[in-house]
Amino acid sequence: MGSRVTFFEVEILDWKTKQQLCFLDKVEPHATISDIRLMFHKSYPQWYPARQSIRLDPKGKSLRDEEILQHLPVGTTATLYFKDLGPQIGWTMVFLTEYAGPLFIYFLFYFRMPFVYGLDDKLTSSPHPVVNLACICHSFHYIKRLIETIFVHRFSHGTMPLRSIIKNCFYYWGFAAWLAYYINHPLYTPPSYGQKQINIAVIMFLICEAGNFSIHVALSDLRRDGSKIRKIPYPTKNPFTWLFFFVSCPNYTYEVGAWISFTIMTQCVPVGLFTFLCFIQMTVWAKDKHYTYVREFKDYPSLRMPIIPFLL
Amino acid sequence: MAASGSSGAGRADNGYGSQQPRRRKGPGALATAYLVIYNVVMTAGWLVIAVGLVRAYLTKGSYHNLYYTIEKPLKFFQTGALLEILHCAFGIVPSSVVLTAFQVMSRVFLTWAVTHSVKEVQNEDSVLLFVVAWTITEIIRYSFYTFSLLNHLPYLIKWARYTLFIVLYPMGVSGELLTIYAALPFVRQAGLYSISLPNKYNFSFDYYTFLILVMISYIPIFPQLYFHMLHQRRKVLSHTEEHKKSE
Repeated sequence: MGSRVTFFEVEILDWKTKQQLCFLDKVEPHATISDIRLMFHKSYPQWYPARQSIRLDPKGKSLRDEEILQHLPVGTTATLYFKDLGPQIGWTMVFLTEYAGPLFIYFLFYFRMPFVYGLDDKLTSSPHPVVNLACICHSFHYIKRLIETIFVHRFSHGTMPLRSIIKNCFYYWGFAAWLAYYINHPLYTPPSYGQKQINIAVIMFLICEAGNFSIHVALSDLRRDGSKIRKIPYPTKNPFTWLFFFVSCPNYTYEVGAWISFTIMTQCVPVGLFTFLCFIQMTVWAKDKHYTYVREFKDYPSLRMPIIPFLL
Repeated sequence: MAASGSSGAGRADNGYGSQQPRRRKGPGALATAYLVIYNVVMTAGWLVIAVGLVRAYLTKGSYHNLYYTIEKPLKFFQTGALLEILHCAFGIVPSSVVLTAFQVMSRVFLTWAVTHSVKEVQNEDSVLLFVVAWTITEIIRYSFYTFSLLNHLPYLIKWARYTLFIVLYPMGVSGELLTIYAALPFVRQAGLYSISLPNKYNFSFDYYTFLILVMISYIPIFPQLYFHMLHQRRKVLSHTEEHKKSE
């Protein structure tokens, strides 16, 4: 006779109320959590798979899509818990919104829209070349980020909660407006050390942007085969990637460097403040990533620091 | 708002005495001794301020212009509360660093950046309003912590801490807002703490506008904290009654 397949039964309970939300019978043992999410979605169309957190314990970690039902520590009647993560936005959409905002907001100030500096200065342009240069650099930075989001980055998690995007947009867009206001202001004062200061800043800016791009490409190549497994990034033939000898997250190092150079170029306190906050945020992210690498790989290069060579 | 956290419900816990379900290590013996000393000193300090106010009122016969009699101890002990941020940072107190920092900084802001900096408002009655609110609140709060650390918390103190805020908190907030509002014209006149363009830092700051924004921020923050405290009150005081019933 043919082999018997033992079907599973899956009940899904609300993580807080423990109320049974869904009962699935005749589930294939090799079904994945992704399949279960799709089945649950059929019963509750408002809860699309990306906003479902399915876990074994009410307060446990969310199970990944790839997990297979029969490999989980459950009996043939599996009890899973559901938590609504709220509306979710795909990473690509997140980054496009977060980056397009500052790009366009800066232009409102650069072109001196009437509502920004008053009618007397509307649509005038600055006599200082550095102001034009700053606009080019700022725009280049965000256009590069948009291009990377569309063509280079490969995201591991699919989505981000809507509330986070709104918070992030306020922060990034708000800061872009604040620093653009001062740089493009009719009473803007060019850097104290003149052209020398500006030239050094531009060179440093270009180096950091090139470096940041190189790192993003190198990280993306690690996942060229479409896998979601984490791998140790290593320096390549590209000299900009040689920073990998010294830090785990050279993309953050270069990013902070780019903003430092922009601060020097514009000699503007709000830019400096934004740079400082970026530095703090990226240090937190870099440390996180660094310690994840260290925990996951026994042979992780010991010379590497999270974000600043030898220091931090 | 600066009076808010002082009744403690702005913090996630409800005092040292209660047991947390999480596996958090309590302060060690040395830290406990230090905290007891700290809280006793602070209780004494605010009692000094209270006594100072009462004596000044009896001597002068009116409640106007009492600020000068307690100016120094007020500044000393209110600024000393900055240590509480370190207590959270070092983990000897189970409260959120961010929340504590926010509460203490708002008090310190009012003490130094408004009342001290704008001499003209020091005669305002609104100053007395928030100083009285702070004084009563802090005396109760610090004695609450002292007794909790010694595991001998009289119900009266617990009740006072979780009940008097109902009046003291709005009283303090009113005093604070009225004081800031009174300071505005003098800030505008003197251009206090303000910098304008052009300058080589390409930065501008208008303290007058900043103060107005601070006042506006009370609108969302005050109700949130107040209702949180009411919620805490229900939790803490009803828990005690159930405990009593079961005895």
